[in-house]
Amino acid sequence: MSILMNNSTRVIVQGITGRIGSAQTHWMLEYGTKVVGGVTPGKGGSTVEGLPVFDSVEEAVRMTGANASVFFVPAAFVLDAFLETIDAGIKLIVIVPEYIPVKDVIIMRNYAIEKGVFALGPTTPGILVPGKGKMGIMPASLFAPGRVGIISRSGTLSYEFAGILSESHVGQSTVVGMGADPVVLRNLADILELFQEDEGTDGVIVVGEVGGEQEEKAAGFISRRMTKPVAAYIAGRYSPQGKRMGHAGAIVRGSSGTVDGKHEALRAAGAAILESPVHVAQWAKEHNLK
Amino acid sequence: MRLHEYEALDIFEQNGIPVPRRGVAGSMHEALHVAGEIGYPVMLKAQVLVGGRGLAGGIRTASTPDELKEMADALLSSDIKGLPVRKILVCEKVEIAKELYLGITIDGYSGKPVIVVSTEGGMLIEETARTSPEKIAAIHIDPSFGYYPYQSRTLLRMLGLKQQLITAWTDVINQLYNVALRYESLITEVNPLVVLPNGGLIAVDAVLEVDDSALSRIRFPLPDRVDRIENPLERRGREIGVTYVDLDGDIGLISSGAGLGMASMDIIGEKMRPSNFLETGGGITADLLYRCMDLIMMKPGLRAIFINVYGGINPIHEGAKGVVRYIQEHNVKIPIVAKALGNRQEETWEIFRSGGVHVVTEVATERAIDKLYELVGGN
Repeated sequence: MSILMNNSTRVIVQGITGRIGSAQTHWMLEYGTKVVGGVTPGKGGSTVEGLPVFDSVEEAVRMTGANASVFFVPAAFVLDAFLETIDAGIKLIVIVPEYIPVKDVIIMRNYAIEKGVFALGPTTPGILVPGKGKMGIMPASLFAPGRVGIISRSGTLSYEFAGILSESHVGQSTVVGMGADPVVLRNLADILELFQEDEGTDGVIVVGEVGGEQEEKAAGFISRRMTKPVAAYIAGRYSPQGKRMGHAGAIVRGSSGTVDGKHEALRAAGAAILESPVHVAQWAKEHNLK
Repeated sequence: MRLHEYEALDIFEQNGIPVPRRGVAGSMHEALHVAGEIGYPVMLKAQVLVGGRGLAGGIRTASTPDELKEMADALLSSDIKGLPVRKILVCEKVEIAKELYLGITIDGYSGKPVIVVSTEGGMLIEETARTSPEKIAAIHIDPSFGYYPYQSRTLLRMLGLKQQLITAWTDVINQLYNVALRYESLITEVNPLVVLPNGGLIAVDAVLEVDDSALSRIRFPLPDRVDRIENPLERRGREIGVTYVDLDGDIGLISSGAGLGMASMDIIGEKMRPSNFLETGGGITADLLYRCMDLIMMKPGLRAIFINVYGGINPIHEGAKGVVRYIQEHNVKIPIVAKALGNRQEETWEIFRSGGVHVVTEVATERAIDKLYELVGGN
């Protein structure tokens, strides 16, 4: 079992005719993902990787029965395409592009939550269910099927954790990138909840980083609701801090945002703190995770 | 992009927020001239892009031209938190009946703009937030509903203020919110917002940080972004399109992904000292990695280089070609260790090896850094 994606997930690729969109469509298909078509306004009627391209999301949904979408749309057009996608009835959206203005993300987040749409990103590698399929850009060779869930704020670090586990013969149930932007479309606790409810997941790894307060807020959820073992790694101990923080940010966030603050909150919630990614293998062994 | 105080004050003034009479000076003589126009006493404020200037000695009061000469010279030849002071703001010293705080930012967790006010403004506002949170009030703005002035009035009434102050303050919040919208700012702040003896309000300081991702669509004139980066290596990083942070160690780092870069720094930092943080983002090409090599090699005394990249969206084999071309053209002799995994990893390893780069094929970054440590001969 897995979260977010399963056998009935039918994916369209928005921006499929672009260089990255078409290359990543190839990799997704090769990994076994049920990609059913693509959307690029003005390019309707053409094909990419043997898949039909449509001018609108509504048409793509009507013609292919798609229920999920992954974005490789230029940042400036993401907001418009995102609202179109929700209005067309898609319920799962992955936003890979980076550099989307925060103002746009705020509108996207609000609309998605109001319409009951689960959206991830921006600046996310996406979702990967080992051996089954993926929506996004994760390099498949690093992942192996199993029963550990991974949620990461950093794309490349999610590959690192999955890779280390796979090397020590521990597989993953689902790997989810939540996105690296200051505002993301879904919070960490929402994704933890899905893993807690998933029968195919026996333990969860949270890969966080310095800044923001996702991990501190998730700690509350972990102590209240998580019965499965949780391990957490926070990157950025040696990162130069305070370069962009103003007073207003500091006041709103209180003392949160530091590596130590996040460690303290997560440890108090019962999560195991990993000092280095390589320690994840030992943690999995201790909890007999496969 | 964070604007200088003098730039932000101009924008606040254009948007109807009362600000002091002022001028910016790059020399003692210019400062003397501005102060002559305004009349003494004047405030002298170092224009550096860092918080906590006041506590670091970057804000002074001059009551006479002689005092100003001395202070202006001292400020213009000083560093504040490592940043050289190139300009000072000379401004009218207003009479202060009370100092308030007003800031607008984005609450990342709720995904909403938030307006924060306090009746205890000034240099110790973060301290107030910790010790007397009841003196601070905030409202979150629902993005689909928008902001309306009554929300500010409600907020300020909660602080128990008189109606005259509530009315004046609400006007300033309305105007500041407009600035935040127009400039797509992540932080828009006035601290202190000063209550004058006649009950009027004036913004004595201004912070404005514009969302970098929105710069291309903001319709109002803004200063050039690259120009204002003080560190020449960081400026070069911005020019070639990567995130480069200069550090004081001697192990160069190139990573794809900020999280991986930070984790690499943390692991390097356990036994050695990173020279820089360099994150390529998506869009690696041979030319980009060639330029990244050129950039990190500019640091004198570099002992080794660690390259940590994943082939997800990035064609890492292309990046490897750029690294190897740089090594060959510049006859690089220091050890270079690369960990490159993901799409087309075998091809990438071949290319790296052809240039004499040590390739580590295990996933754990720690293993690759162990190898690097061994190659540089420990500390």
